[in-house]
Amino acid sequence: MSENKNEGYVTADGRKIGGTLMEMKNITLRFGGVKAITDISFDIKEGEIRAIIGPNGAGKSSMLNVISGFYVPQEGEVWYKGARRPSMKPYEVARQGIARTFQNIALFEGMTVLDNVMTGRLNHMKANMAQQAIWKGAAEKEEVANREVVEKVIDFLEIQSIRKTPVARLPYGLKKRVELARALAAEPSLLLLDEPMAGMNVEEKEDMSRFILDVNDEFGTTIALIEHDMGVVMDLSDRVVVMDYGKKIGDGTPDEVRNNQDVIDAYLGVSHD
Amino acid sequence: MAQSSQAAGGLQSIPALLHRNATEFGNRPAYREKEFGIWQSWTWNETKREINNLARGLINLGVNEGDFIAIIGRNRPHFYWSMVAAQSVGAIPVPIYQDSAAEEMAYVLDHCGARFVIAEDQEQVDKVIEVQDRLHQFEHMIYVDPRGMRKYDHTRLHEFSHVQEQGFAARDELTPELNNRKAKLDYSSTCVMLYTSGTTGKPKGVVLSNRNVIESAKNSAEFDHLKIDEEILAYLPMAWVGDFIFSLGQAYWCGFCVNCPESPETMAADLREIGPTYYFAPPRVFETQLTNVMIRMEDASKFKKRLFDKYMAVAKRVGPKILDGKPVGFIDRLQYALGDLFIYGPLKNTLGLSRVRVGYTAGEAIGPEIFEFYRSLGINLKQLYGQTEATVFITVQPDGEVRNDTVGVPAPGVELRIDDSGEVFYRSPGVFEEYYKNPESTASTKDAEGWVATGDAGFIEPDTGHLRIIDRAKDVGKMADGSMFAPKYVENKLKFFPNILEAVLFGNGRDRCMAFINIDMGAVGNWAERNNIAYSSYQELAGHPKVLDAIKAHVEEVNRSVAQDEMLSGCQIHRFLVLHKELDADDGEMTRTRKVRRRIVEEKFQDLIDALYDGKDQIFTTTEVTYEDGRKGSISATLKLIDAAIAPVTTQKVAAE
Amino acid sequence: MPDQLLFGTEVFLNGLMAGVLYALVALGFVLIYKASGIFNYAQGVMALFAALTLVGIMDGQVPFAHLINAVFGTEVHHFGWNIPSFLAIILTMGVMVALAWIVQQLIFRHLVNQEPIILFMATIGLAYFMEGFGDIMWGSDIKKLDVGIPQGMNALIDEVTYGAFGYGFFIDNLDIVAAVIATILVILLVLFSQYTKQGRAMRAVADDHQAALSVGISLNFIWVMVWSVAGFVALVAGIMWGAKSGVQFSLSLIALKALPVLMLGGFTSIPGAIVGGLIIGVGEKMFEFLIGPMVGGATENWFAYVLALLFLVFRPQGLFGEKIIERV
Repeated sequence: MSENKNEGYVTADGRKIGGTLMEMKNITLRFGGVKAITDISFDIKEGEIRAIIGPNGAGKSSMLNVISGFYVPQEGEVWYKGARRPSMKPYEVARQGIARTFQNIALFEGMTVLDNVMTGRLNHMKANMAQQAIWKGAAEKEEVANREVVEKVIDFLEIQSIRKTPVARLPYGLKKRVELARALAAEPSLLLLDEPMAGMNVEEKEDMSRFILDVNDEFGTTIALIEHDMGVVMDLSDRVVVMDYGKKIGDGTPDEVRNNQDVIDAYLGVSHD
Repeated sequence: MAQSSQAAGGLQSIPALLHRNATEFGNRPAYREKEFGIWQSWTWNETKREINNLARGLINLGVNEGDFIAIIGRNRPHFYWSMVAAQSVGAIPVPIYQDSAAEEMAYVLDHCGARFVIAEDQEQVDKVIEVQDRLHQFEHMIYVDPRGMRKYDHTRLHEFSHVQEQGFAARDELTPELNNRKAKLDYSSTCVMLYTSGTTGKPKGVVLSNRNVIESAKNSAEFDHLKIDEEILAYLPMAWVGDFIFSLGQAYWCGFCVNCPESPETMAADLREIGPTYYFAPPRVFETQLTNVMIRMEDASKFKKRLFDKYMAVAKRVGPKILDGKPVGFIDRLQYALGDLFIYGPLKNTLGLSRVRVGYTAGEAIGPEIFEFYRSLGINLKQLYGQTEATVFITVQPDGEVRNDTVGVPAPGVELRIDDSGEVFYRSPGVFEEYYKNPESTASTKDAEGWVATGDAGFIEPDTGHLRIIDRAKDVGKMADGSMFAPKYVENKLKFFPNILEAVLFGNGRDRCMAFINIDMGAVGNWAERNNIAYSSYQELAGHPKVLDAIKAHVEEVNRSVAQDEMLSGCQIHRFLVLHKELDADDGEMTRTRKVRRRIVEEKFQDLIDALYDGKDQIFTTTEVTYEDGRKGSISATLKLIDAAIAPVTTQKVAAE
Repeated sequence: MPDQLLFGTEVFLNGLMAGVLYALVALGFVLIYKASGIFNYAQGVMALFAALTLVGIMDGQVPFAHLINAVFGTEVHHFGWNIPSFLAIILTMGVMVALAWIVQQLIFRHLVNQEPIILFMATIGLAYFMEGFGDIMWGSDIKKLDVGIPQGMNALIDEVTYGAFGYGFFIDNLDIVAAVIATILVILLVLFSQYTKQGRAMRAVADDHQAALSVGISLNFIWVMVWSVAGFVALVAGIMWGAKSGVQFSLSLIALKALPVLMLGGFTSIPGAIVGGLIIGVGEKMFEFLIGPMVGGATENWFAYVLALLFLVFRPQGLFGEKIIERV
């Protein structure tokens, strides 16, 4: 990692972005003989909203799964918080402070919204079995503290009214929000959002955009997201990686990307007006 | 009420009442609000501290006596404090509907010349910022929720808690000034200014004095024996006079606790947790609750359903009698007690109404079966008739004299008069001072002797003294043959069907009546689901042949009912259509309080009205719609125009109904 | 009170006692099924294995004695010591945890995302393997298990009821102890799954694997934990049944008693397993008492299954199972 790469920058709207939080170096991922990702490198800086875009099948989701440990790349290195990350299981990645949502929503359908969001706190629960058994001191204090964090998140995402509702009964848009709440409850250093607006109507998309911006603004959370809705991405993100057929074809601010000829040819030219 | 001003005992302003409450019952709860899942509460002592800090903070910011302070937010303690703090510094609070569009807000802010705005959050702040260039007197804005506000330019923007902190820091210098200003307040100083939405024209600023508010609060509290231990849930718009009187006037007069819900969506759950003893809701809320209960019972097991039906029949038979204290047989009482144990009690608990001692509904006519349902459960639901200009109360129903078809007897201190055209007039201590900056309207509404025109047509029943309202006076018209045209009367009958959300009747000056109908998406949608009728939108559901059949049956039933009334039998509906969109305040078709703006609907859908009178079978139409974010679009549809059977006129009298 | 009613009450109480044990065995199934989607056919054999191990440890039996003697020509059978039952139970629990770990590492870790039928087959294999392995380890003779639970008629109940009704109820001390212990265990399990971090994680895994991973839960850990808990439940069931009728192969057949309980209560419901167990326990005893004499007795063998079948026809998801909804 060279020195200058680790420096932050200041965004157009005046937010200060910190040093490199995560860096992907020459990542290649194959399924059998098929290359899903070919030699991709990029970084995610502290406090920024980083988007990965590309047409369907470009390898965006695979990339997110590499970051979150669901896929293990055959080649390349993942650097996180200044150290090289060894091959890890997804739950170990989560314990390092990387929370995520899923394109197809992975919630605990049988539990209430509150219980779902509480599971986001599992990694913050330290009390041992004995303490939990007698429900005293550390365990009780911890439960209350965790509940407080969870209630703040619930308030923040405006889902108070469904606190006690079983998730299975919620409409799609709200489920997406609950999933975001669960990820936020973990107070992650890096939040990964896999197509947070997929399948939403215009109004829901606007709500979700506002929540993403507010999360970044209020908690300073670093966010990496995948999205194929170009309009949304360009409005939200500070920097954008563009992928096509598993290769990186562009990387920069939304304006830079918009004017990049390769990107225009591959993607923007066809679907962006 | 000759001794009324003495009875107030020098308590001639809300800040004076606050002082009394903090002195006499300082440790009793004044406000509760659910936040982060927990009910936070403030005693009267704490409330006084919060309000005084805010008041000093306002002086610190440069608020002068006579300034207008606009308050935009949902029911939260902070905004009630803001109103009292504004009064304390000699300013006039102007609560504004928080769901107003920026344009509507601009009109009100400009009209009253507000120098200060206290707003809830980023959303409201953004709306004011959007129009602030047009507001010449506007200077500072205070916001309560700091979320998302960090990036804003804070030269004229202040956080609520910071203003309070500054007020606290400057307590030594500013307290004398604050006390000085408070001392100047008396019965004639302005308490609040409320903008009435009105079904036509621009909103008017109704100026209410301390006399209006405190006398009305006092009289009504005595009428219903309200005490210090009442609990109410404040959830109706703060800009509405009712909330001002219930949650501020009566609360400060009696010293009871005002509970604020966590969010509008959690209302039902919060209601259950608080269990108010004194409760107000417009008919729409009671109707929705009832519809939900019925839907749930449809899905319940057969056993539960049978039990429910059996005991509801018992309740219907004896419940209202027990409530009115009339004699009821022992067996019936026993059955009712059993029903209360198994059905009514749990049901009331679920609805959050188990502790309600006094419940009111007003604003619109309530369906008889809805009204009866609640009363049969043992909930003392009553009707009142009022308006902003009267500081709410014109008539109220006393305990034991509650009926669905009247709005009660004159409230304490109110005189009633019916003029030759049938319009209702009143005079009371609550009669408003004036419409702000609008002497013509003031003069045309309130005469020199203090009589105020309600704009409603009605009559007083000779034997009971109860007032009955027929319709808006200006809406009552004549059919081509000279018979009476009372659209509201017929529309209300239609709206009593759960399937029908809104109805608009046309026929003034014509030979026949026609109607537009909006179906109730909740009720009809649920029915469709149970009958395996697939639909993807309101429009599709509204056009479904089976839905149209059901509505037609409703219309014909209404016709039969209207036909029984000789005077109004001309108002039967000959043809109708089900609209392809819901009438919406965003499109200007309704007021923010959800009353239909007849004239606008008439203009906008002229093509549909013509088609109804032309006798066509169907018509293609395109309508402009406004989305929630203000963008415009259009929807088009082919609507079926349907004939309804007309019932023969029977010769029963109106009174027999 | 008429005699018939008194007998009936006694039978009812005995049914409840038996029902608690059925519930306990059924719980073992439910736990594993909920968390991993595996229908563990080996649950009964686990109870047998646990009981065998407990007896072996208590008696200081040398494991694999028969095998060792055959191969090396030695004559070792006992270490020559006896271990107190409390310590032996803890040691046995250790063995069950080790077993859970081995089962997870060697079998089910390699079968993640396989069809349920494959997983089921694997548990059948496991059942037969453990049965044989248990025999080799501890010998196949019938053993007596005595961990110090009082047995025989409870004199106090006999006296009190005799005094009150003129007829002394016969209720076995062992049944009472079993019922009390099983009840405590059930309460503990519910508290564990509702209120502890591990319990929450367990419910999370039961609900959605991917989501569980994303909040930092190790699936492997949870599965080992669940198999351990199931092993613990099996141990308790093994002790109770073993103490009652000796530790022998037929003990593994209690799993067959649990099946109708599961059909009744639903495969995924903990309260279902409890209520189902009680219904079956009371039902079969009462049926035998009331109807048995008319049809020549022995109804206990088939009553539970017939009841379960009826349930399958009218309420396939069981008493408390999640409703199976098919929307158009």
